[in-house]
Amino acid sequence: MMDAKTIKKDRLRYTKNKLSANLAYLAILFNVLYFVSIYSSDVDTYYYTITIGASVLYNLVFLLSAFLCSEGVKNYKIGYGWFAMVIGVMQFVRILGIPKAAHSAVITLAGEETVVMGDGQFAYVVACLVISGLACIASGVAGVYKTTTLNNYMKEKGLA
Amino acid sequence: MASLSLKNINKIYDNNVQAVFDFNLDVADGEFIVLVGPSGCGKSTTLRMIAGLEDISSGTLIIDGEDVTQKPPKDRDIAMVFQNYALYAHMTIYENMAFSLTLRKEDPNVIHEKVLAAAEILGLTDQLNKKPKQLSGGQRQRVAMGRAIVRTPKVFLFDEPLSNLDAKLRGATRREILLLHKRLGATMLYVTHDQTEALTLADRIVCMSMGYVQQVGTPLELYDTPANLFVASFIGLPPMNFFDCEVEENKLVGTGFNLKLNDSEKELLKYYVGKTITLGVRPENIVKGSDMTLSVNLNENLGQTTLVHGTIGGHKATAKFREWSDYKVGDEVGVSFDRKHFFDKDTTKAIR
Repeated sequence: MMDAKTIKKDRLRYTKNKLSANLAYLAILFNVLYFVSIYSSDVDTYYYTITIGASVLYNLVFLLSAFLCSEGVKNYKIGYGWFAMVIGVMQFVRILGIPKAAHSAVITLAGEETVVMGDGQFAYVVACLVISGLACIASGVAGVYKTTTLNNYMKEKGLA
Repeated sequence: MASLSLKNINKIYDNNVQAVFDFNLDVADGEFIVLVGPSGCGKSTTLRMIAGLEDISSGTLIIDGEDVTQKPPKDRDIAMVFQNYALYAHMTIYENMAFSLTLRKEDPNVIHEKVLAAAEILGLTDQLNKKPKQLSGGQRQRVAMGRAIVRTPKVFLFDEPLSNLDAKLRGATRREILLLHKRLGATMLYVTHDQTEALTLADRIVCMSMGYVQQVGTPLELYDTPANLFVASFIGLPPMNFFDCEVEENKLVGTGFNLKLNDSEKELLKYYVGKTITLGVRPENIVKGSDMTLSVNLNENLGQTTLVHGTIGGHKATAKFREWSDYKVGDEVGVSFDRKHFFDKDTTKAIR
């Protein structure tokens, strides 16, 4: 008979790490909400710069990376756990990019001075990036923890 | 585990076709019952009514002392294993086996222990991380059984579970089911049209034809003392040979033979003197002798035995000799009957 702790570890041999995978999907969802909010802004040609091109590319890279991470952590690949943490931290760094610049920018539209990103939208996009980043990091942490637990258990039982 | 009682069960479909007529059966706790019969005889319909997948038109179904006739399948605590396995292709074997318990929101640790225990019983421990498509037919059927085992239901129902397997695998899986029954001591109802499965697995066999129960009894009872012509012809391979005979005072007169009746046979047939009855003889009860001749049409050697097909007095007959024979077409073999079954020609019932 196994005790509850051992059973919990043994279960990892046969179950996928759905928690980490779902957190990665959550990160993808909030990243989509973030860029939809930015790209749908009607602020004339303010965003028509190289920065937005880089942003589009990064979003594509993030979506792909987060999806790969979700599959990796689901199957207890420790490398994908660390990678998820890195792209999670990057989401926080992104707050300092377009959102910060747009929040402080003012343009002239039809002869009137207009704020590119109001406080409300700024709070919204920051929240999206923060949640996306936290979800990614949590996914990575859970992935690394569970994978380490599983690997140690397998070694302990001589199953590795 | 539980006892099961079916009282006056009838099944009439919306188009007024009646599939099952007045089915009565009491199944004891831990008993292995096999429902056997040709296609369309109502055996699967009966099983599906027990499972709750078909409504019972009239009658009562009692499981473990409780009337469950009107209860939905989920509340009957029954597990069913299907011919086509019904596994989820996108789930691993572990997930397939755990699925029903997960739906019930049982503790994951308890689920884990139950799945591992079932996998151990069925020899599936090394397959738990695989998908169904990676397993053989026999292994898939074992997974289907495992999914039933983890639920620890009151009654197990099997609906022709071996029909999709090849002959060799069918034999092996059949033995596994038998061992499983001995190990679990569970109440099991098993539907098949294969009499070999019925004879080898069952504690009792229910032989059905055209919606009616023809006979209920142990495999030996059905084989040795069939209740009527249908059971006599259905149970036994090759099937029983039948000859029309006239009963005389001291003998039985058939086309191509005269058989002297012994005292017990005379007593049995005393009300049939002057009438025609059906004489049944199993192929293994046709032995070499001098009462009549078998004209050989075909000789089939099966290793330990030989099936000799031919005619006796113009009637088709098959003999099973416990030796390697090499008869040619047209050979005449002297034979006798060492065991006879008598049937009323009008009612088709056995004369006892």
